[in-house]
Amino acid sequence: MRFPYGPAAFSMLILAILSGAWLLGNPVPPKKATLVMWTFAKTHYDAYKQAIPSFEAKHPGVKVDLQLVSWQAVTSRLQAAFLSDLDVPDLVEVEISAAGSFFRGPLKDVGFRDLTDRIKQSGLYDRMVQARFAPYTSRGRIFGLPHDVHPVMIAYRRDIFEQLGIDVSKIETWDDFIAVGRRVTSPGKRYMLELPDSESSRFEPLLYQRGGGLFDPQGNCIMDNEIAVQTMLFYVPLVAGPNRIASDLGGGQIFTRAVEDGYFLCMITPDWRSKTIEVDVPKMRGKMALMPLPAVYPGGRRTSTWGGTMIGITKHCKHPDLAWELALHLYLNKDDLAQRFRDTNILPAVKDAWDHPAYNEPRPYWSNQPIGRMYAELAPYVPFQYTSPFVATAKAKLSEALVACVQYYKQHGDKGFEEFVRKRLKQSADEVRRLMRRNPY
Amino acid sequence: MATRQTDISLAPSQVVRTSRWFALQHRFAPYLFVSPFLLLFAVFGVYPIVKSLILAFYVTNGPKSAVFVGVQNFVFLLSDDDFHKAVWNTAVFAFWSVFLQLPLSLGLALLLNSRWVRGRELLRLAFFSPNLLGQVFVGVLFSVLFIPQYGLVNRFLHFIAGIPLDTKWLANPDLVMPALVLTSLWMYVGFNMIYFLAALQAVDKDLYEAATVDGANAWHQFWAVTLPGIKPVAVFVLVMSTIGSFQLFELPYIMLNNSAGPDQAGLTIVMYLYQTGFVTGDLGYASTVGWTLALGVLMISLVQMRVTGAWKGGD
Repeated sequence: MRFPYGPAAFSMLILAILSGAWLLGNPVPPKKATLVMWTFAKTHYDAYKQAIPSFEAKHPGVKVDLQLVSWQAVTSRLQAAFLSDLDVPDLVEVEISAAGSFFRGPLKDVGFRDLTDRIKQSGLYDRMVQARFAPYTSRGRIFGLPHDVHPVMIAYRRDIFEQLGIDVSKIETWDDFIAVGRRVTSPGKRYMLELPDSESSRFEPLLYQRGGGLFDPQGNCIMDNEIAVQTMLFYVPLVAGPNRIASDLGGGQIFTRAVEDGYFLCMITPDWRSKTIEVDVPKMRGKMALMPLPAVYPGGRRTSTWGGTMIGITKHCKHPDLAWELALHLYLNKDDLAQRFRDTNILPAVKDAWDHPAYNEPRPYWSNQPIGRMYAELAPYVPFQYTSPFVATAKAKLSEALVACVQYYKQHGDKGFEEFVRKRLKQSADEVRRLMRRNPY
Repeated sequence: MATRQTDISLAPSQVVRTSRWFALQHRFAPYLFVSPFLLLFAVFGVYPIVKSLILAFYVTNGPKSAVFVGVQNFVFLLSDDDFHKAVWNTAVFAFWSVFLQLPLSLGLALLLNSRWVRGRELLRLAFFSPNLLGQVFVGVLFSVLFIPQYGLVNRFLHFIAGIPLDTKWLANPDLVMPALVLTSLWMYVGFNMIYFLAALQAVDKDLYEAATVDGANAWHQFWAVTLPGIKPVAVFVLVMSTIGSFQLFELPYIMLNNSAGPDQAGLTIVMYLYQTGFVTGDLGYASTVGWTLALGVLMISLVQMRVTGAWKGGD
């Protein structure tokens, strides 16, 4: 008998039946892993891959599925997974600038488990740098264990500094630094410092150094307070106007070339970036060195913080105790952390790990400086960095204010600059507050 | 024919049953065949559209927490500076896209339709090929070309016009939009050229001969024969380019390093929608932005079709 609707329709029908039968006969196998963990950093992924077998050996029958998910995807995929209750991992590492966005809505709806009691009862709150809990805290509850401290220093071209006769031991404050910078900067050819004039990623560490921030501990927007105004008045003349000593070209290959050419002499460098520089600018081995951040005033804080990661346990997790053990296994094991420091230069947040010999090892790239010890000595002074679900908006608004202030300064110089800075920062902060007022939760 | 012979040989009761079966088939088979599409369209098309319309009246924190706010989202939109900035940026991009891209595409099509140009096929492929790469690839490519100090664009412009080598195309709010428009031109001029080429080749050659006999020069022929001949395609390209421009997202997102750029100079409506929905997490307000965009694009397209006389049909 012939199929009445022609061979095309008949083929489609057969294909549909065959594919349906195949799907029925080959259902998606159920996940075998006991715990699924996401991380966004390749360096973390590589380190955890080595650490997980010992955890699995300690817990027979337990299988950990570690997945590398891109930084942007962690934010959007995890948001989507939380919203849909599908494909939610048990543990997730979240980058500091995205963490706040997960704490939106009522506490009961936050996708991460409240770790406050576990952290305080286990003594971790005192064992770790307390300032590092702030970015992962909302309404007094802690939702993440900090992976790192990320103290900030300044990386500089030691060889050029020596040629120019600059003695870094005499650079104690920003005034000292700027005085040297004005002497050595040659616009378009060489700048003392790498600082952008179009976004606030380096402005924020300098704001934190002075004790400021985007939000206070209660989550109120404070990016127009006196500290922010003073930071802006300090920052803009560094990147704009006739006496500027800083510029920015971007990341990647262009950064490599700029450092090699001596276009930038200094870079604001948290521990993680010291590894990035090692990898991206390998030719500078032995020609680079680190010095503490200049203080705002004599005897002031010689560091700040830039970047960070937390690990959180999701409410979806069916084995929260096991997940907590895995988090501790990855974040507290001294020998693993020491090896991770050797591989990534990242100082762990747990203070008692810093007495490992790995942190005293001289690094040939950094002119044989023991950079682990140097970062560890600054780590206790790392400032608090409070967050809010509106942190992404606040960062964008701060960048807008910075660009506006730079443009004003280029056109008008010091005339009316302070008044403009106050007005512009208030405008940006008011826009954030207006958005926050819409939040009905 | 064979079926009919078989029917004749069947018993009367079997004939009745078979003919009923075929009658049922003829009645329901079309519905059966279109049902997969209808089902998928209902689930992935109609439901999200209706749901997003409902969401536009809520402030949300995911589907679990939603607070009904009536038209407050739309009221907030009216005074939302970021949205206004996104609309302005998108409109500027759309303006330049339409008023630079389309004449360039048409000019290129006229050139490559001419018998006097050698290697036309190769040139057509060359001009069309940027479109094969995709916006993400093109975004990455141009973000490298626009690098200050060492980038090819600055090196070239420094050589021919003396512009400073450290000109920051993607970090200067005044230069972000020109950079985006230039990139978009490189990508889409060749694409729209193909539409115009097809239209030009469909214009009746006899009309040109008649115009030549009447003494019309090339310029007159272009206005009196070519343009009316390609008008339906031109209107289509105009409307599609405008809609495409208002949907701009990937290019600025990639070129400005996953951000809206300095002073939000690269913030487009769709990027703002994405940020609101998937960074801030307010799907309700994102739906409001989405519906406003859809209505805006519809209005602009209707105005364009009205102004160009596309509804009059034929000519």
